[in-house]
Amino acid sequence: MAKTEQRNGLELQGNTEKLTDSNGKSSSNGLEPEVNGSIPEETQVDKYGFTGGAQQSAGELAEEVPIAVLRQREAKWLEMLNSWDKWMAKKHNKVKERCQKGIPPSLRGRAWLYLTGAKVKREQNKGRFEELDIQPGDPKWVDVIERDLHRQFPFHEMFAARGGHGQQDLFRVLKAYTLHRPDEGYCQAQAPVAAVLLMHMPAEDAFWVLVQICEKYLPGYYSTGLEAIQLDGEILYALLRGVSPVAHRHLKKHKLEPILYMTEWFMCAFSRTLPWSSVLRVWDMFLCEGVKILFRVGLVLLKCMLGTQEKVKTCQGLYETMELLKKIQPQYTREGFLVQEIIDLPVSEKNIEKEHQAQLRRWKESRGDLSCKSPPRMHGAKAIMSAEPPSRQELRQRPTIIVESPLAAETEAVPGDEVKGSKKAAKANGHTTTVLPPDGIVNLSDLSSTLHHTTTQGSKESLSSAEHDTYL
Amino acid sequence: MGSDEAYNFVFKVVLIGESGVGKSNLLSRFTKNEFNHDSRTTIGVEFSTRTVQLNGFYIKAQIWDTAGLERYRAITSAYYRGAVGALLVYDITKHLTYESVERWLKELYDHADPHIVVMLVGNKTDLESERSVPTEEAKDFAEKKGLLFLETSALQSTNVEAAFNKVLEEIHKKVNSKEVVRGSINAVTLNSSRAESQEEEKKPCCKNI
Repeated sequence: MAKTEQRNGLELQGNTEKLTDSNGKSSSNGLEPEVNGSIPEETQVDKYGFTGGAQQSAGELAEEVPIAVLRQREAKWLEMLNSWDKWMAKKHNKVKERCQKGIPPSLRGRAWLYLTGAKVKREQNKGRFEELDIQPGDPKWVDVIERDLHRQFPFHEMFAARGGHGQQDLFRVLKAYTLHRPDEGYCQAQAPVAAVLLMHMPAEDAFWVLVQICEKYLPGYYSTGLEAIQLDGEILYALLRGVSPVAHRHLKKHKLEPILYMTEWFMCAFSRTLPWSSVLRVWDMFLCEGVKILFRVGLVLLKCMLGTQEKVKTCQGLYETMELLKKIQPQYTREGFLVQEIIDLPVSEKNIEKEHQAQLRRWKESRGDLSCKSPPRMHGAKAIMSAEPPSRQELRQRPTIIVESPLAAETEAVPGDEVKGSKKAAKANGHTTTVLPPDGIVNLSDLSSTLHHTTTQGSKESLSSAEHDTYL
Repeated sequence: MGSDEAYNFVFKVVLIGESGVGKSNLLSRFTKNEFNHDSRTTIGVEFSTRTVQLNGFYIKAQIWDTAGLERYRAITSAYYRGAVGALLVYDITKHLTYESVERWLKELYDHADPHIVVMLVGNKTDLESERSVPTEEAKDFAEKKGLLFLETSALQSTNVEAAFNKVLEEIHKKVNSKEVVRGSINAVTLNSSRAESQEEEKKPCCKNI
């Protein structure tokens, strides 16, 4: 478990108050220098949980989705999750489109669990996480992981407290991974990735999503030798030529190697680079469509910052260019702008695979064989599912409140579904009933869907409904 | 840090050492006078600059910082390119981080210029009560290996200026002693085979070069 550390006489024993050091708050990411001072008593927490730092919401940069639209989207997502395999097999484009619009916050964690195939992995490996969780772990990895627990999103209230629940869960997930893949061990960039996941789901789920990201979406990224990330850097640079010849020429002229600017971008899937609302939109698309989204983000940022003669004129050298790329202008990273650019950029899986082969050949010629042979990557949710088609049982949702609604009557009855029993009862009553499980745990997202169905007179949703939601 | 600032030299200095020893805080303390208990894990490359005045010259120190974890060694050759100075940092309270110093030195000499100025830095002297690396031992080791040596505390600001200034001074001495060939206006390199040539004329940033 995470040890608490003594620093300068300050000691925390798992309390949830925010830690302030004796020198006061200071910039932790180098993006904006901040003056030494003390944190005011009342710190604003934004809707994502940030109390400060460059990723705290500036309000005007984020898109506000009207509540009515949000509720509609939630209903659609609940429907999709209810028959996930069907949607993925027959209406994958619709799923993709909905991911592009942004997954409703209340269902984001669950959607990511399903998109990544982690839900299935979890069902197929019942008890596995528990097994790993109770083991002490290799001391070598445990030591390094513990040093990193307080260094992930320190401005996020979930991770601010030393020894707090957020840091504890982070430890559990990362340690479990080193036990799950002892040949890989721990790579520091996995910590921010795991932290993002923990902001949306419990530790066991986060563990399985992390596994899927490391094995399917970004194989080789976190293993020794870091060859995969270097190759992707070369691919990014090669693709840039077609997207922005000016930017490409500039980077070539100043010999700015990709590894000097894209490492943190890709290894952390932009979670440390973009404003938070944009991080979430990018992840919604990334987990649906795969690594091409990361390439598109990188290409868009490079094009925006270095894409015209005017812009590159201000960068006299390698260092100045690196500085510029560390301070991407907010107009390019805000949700509204960035998401559309990503969707519009014509860079496909085929483009990436083709370039991958070319770069692999170059690598072998100049550096010999890859020392670490990773499995081929899966380009998104559909590919993952096709490779290992799950059973209905494995996809079954496990809500802790079973809710009867008009919508449920339209969906296919699942053999062995717990809902069946309550459905009969509901039909008799003619209105919604709520069945409380013995432990009485309330699942809030199920409650919200109840509210939706009782307040909007039953939706006209069906698998073939026209998409009225044109928001972004 | 803009191009308006006048400076005579730009010296690239790299911070190396095990994860968690305090490289990032040494960087922020020196270039921004800031310290953060919870500064983020460095992934990829971080950097910052500060211009100091030494013997009448304006020296722009370009300090580079990167991840200390073992596997990041695979991607550091670009990081070392053009570096004329290095601070090899260990944590005085964690003996293991001191034991890795030899490995780091090897890594340094494998990738960086042989004339690079190196200082061994024992950081976190504010935690004197938890010391596990005796000052004398480290000092002797540094002498034997021809390295500069200082113990610092990024938290208390102790010796941070001194450490960087000493390294910059030594680099400047080498530059002046003509052991060195000046490369482009943007970077000083220590020998001609590594001189970086720029394709076009840069706007000169100072008058007396």
